[in-house]
Amino acid sequence: MSVIECSGLTKVYGGAKALNNLSFKIEENKITGLIGRNGAGKTTLLKIIAGLLKETSGELKVFSEKPFNSLQVSANVIFLHDQMNLPTALNLKELLETAASFYPNWDRELADRLLDYFSLNPLQHYNGLSKGMKSTFNMILGLSARVPLTMLDEPTSGMDAAVRKDFYRALLKEYLAYPRTIIISSHHLSEIEDLLEDILLVKEGKEILHMPVDILKEWAIGLQGKTTVIDEWTQNTEVIYTKSIGIDQSYVVVRNHFSETEWQRARNAGIDLTPVTSSDLCVYLTSKTKGGIDDVFNKG
Amino acid sequence: MLFNLDGTKPIYIQLSEWLENEILNGNFESDQKIYSQYQLAEIFNINPATAAKGLNILADEQILYKKRGLGMFVANSAKEMILAKRKNQTLKRLVQEIVLEAGRLQVSKEELIEMIKTADIGEAEK
Amino acid sequence: MSLTKVSLIDVVKKQYIYKLKAYSQVFMSLIFLQLLAVLFSMNGVGSMGGSTGGSVELQVKYFSADFVAAFTMLWGFITAILITTKAYRNDDFVFVTNRVSSNLSNAVFLLTASVIGGITAMLSSYLLKVIVYYFISDLSIKSITVLEAPMELLLGIFSTILYVFLFCALGYLVGTLVQISKAFTVLLPAAFFGTLILEGLSGKAGTVANVFDFFFTESSLVLFIVKIIVSAGLLFSGAFVLSNRLEVRG
Repeated sequence: MSVIECSGLTKVYGGAKALNNLSFKIEENKITGLIGRNGAGKTTLLKIIAGLLKETSGELKVFSEKPFNSLQVSANVIFLHDQMNLPTALNLKELLETAASFYPNWDRELADRLLDYFSLNPLQHYNGLSKGMKSTFNMILGLSARVPLTMLDEPTSGMDAAVRKDFYRALLKEYLAYPRTIIISSHHLSEIEDLLEDILLVKEGKEILHMPVDILKEWAIGLQGKTTVIDEWTQNTEVIYTKSIGIDQSYVVVRNHFSETEWQRARNAGIDLTPVTSSDLCVYLTSKTKGGIDDVFNKG
Repeated sequence: MLFNLDGTKPIYIQLSEWLENEILNGNFESDQKIYSQYQLAEIFNINPATAAKGLNILADEQILYKKRGLGMFVANSAKEMILAKRKNQTLKRLVQEIVLEAGRLQVSKEELIEMIKTADIGEAEK
Repeated sequence: MSLTKVSLIDVVKKQYIYKLKAYSQVFMSLIFLQLLAVLFSMNGVGSMGGSTGGSVELQVKYFSADFVAAFTMLWGFITAILITTKAYRNDDFVFVTNRVSSNLSNAVFLLTASVIGGITAMLSSYLLKVIVYYFISDLSIKSITVLEAPMELLLGIFSTILYVFLFCALGYLVGTLVQISKAFTVLLPAAFFGTLILEGLSGKAGTVANVFDFFFTESSLVLFIVKIIVSAGLLFSGAFVLSNRLEVRG
């Protein structure tokens, strides 16, 4: 069953299209990474899925229902992001108790133990926390609620490296024990890619790519060598990224649909073949030009 | 953590090799149940789907077999199959590299065969 | 993981309890405003004086909860507007909600607030009389005891609650309108004061005065209750319908 089905989704904010004819499906119980640059529309998409915003046009079904104003969707979706402002009158302990009242799968013990582990004071108030601690608390809220669709927008903002590691570990352990559909949007793809099953790459409000991480890692390949030789080899292939090295060498990134023998011939011709990390690949795929920022400096 | 993450070898392949080592080391006997994808995910801090991929490679090569509802088990002649595969692959790859290198240094095939013949196995094994 | 099924009533109940805690600061401002009103009432809410025969001067001051009640109605109005603002409205969306449940739980919360406000407002008349008696000398009080006129007190509480609730309903609609378009922040006061001024200038009995009479001078209890409930109902319904399309920004 598809948990989320989206087709032609468009959202217009004062003249600009935050989401532009977006279509994809998310299957049950997978961990999907929502990747893209700032302003690509990730947060907008998550807010529409959570029912906070309404789409301008297009179709969106979450658990087979339209999410906007749906109590059923709201009960089965939890959306945590760093712009969340929890009521100032309640302290952390009371917030967790409120969550317990709303979410039937709430694990009180887990929440208390996590609170303790991360040294959060239950009597403190949310707005008195630092950014990293807010994110940590949001994470505790999100994991302990055990909601069928759990969406985390930049869940690690402000967290230091140690806490980030713990967070990913906690997320994995919770997912293994109680599988659920999880969507994480993050800027740190290299940190989370082992955690993910699928990646949904978004650029300017449109989906560019939606595939398992394992396949993404082998989707493209980097070629380095003499520019003339490289150009010959990539004549009929789409070049994703290109950079010149030295006087007569280049590094290009292309789709990897060559066979093993073809690669062997390329090596024989003096071309160096290197894998492309998913993080780099996503950067290249979402940049405005093939040369990236160097183009700014190379003009004129 | 335990994997080489520089991207040269996909994680699921590194995982399948680790499992092969486990079998070769005798940690798993024939017809014994091997780790599930969830256990592997927990041990290596990876998504269980990736772990499943690693297990499936070995299943495709019949080093492991699936028992419905129970999980993956080590095949009867798993150890032998792994050794044979390694011999073929590793050696084959090395041979290819030698040939390639010889080509770059403009060493002829005959010269190369001579070099192999005169290579002291005793020396190599030290 | 299996899906949870929820009922509207269930969610409204849980939200109501959540709000009693999350919006508890409004009760602080209630106490503050009521004490302020008591202060203002210390000089008597009305007076009459006279002298007879040159040697006796009589001054009668009325001490009642009128000021406090008025302040409480104002408080109800403001509180209702407050809870329609982003900060408060968004509190619901952290957990489980939709716009219907959010509005319903707000209405129940405002009803509770009105009940509390009404009771404390009426009881403040006793506080007032006690303060006046002890701190302002040479006064003799006509009556202070509850036992003397329990029905009056109860009636007072009941009607104050309804008045405050009516103002809450009005405030809720006003707040919702403002959330829909900032233009209303200007339009509504302009319409209100504009009507007052224009009608004042023309010398005719104004719309505002008519509305005032409609509610405040109703002598039949039953009719009074009906008027308030229907009006509050209409105001809230209006707000509910309008807010159904509101997105959760920021």
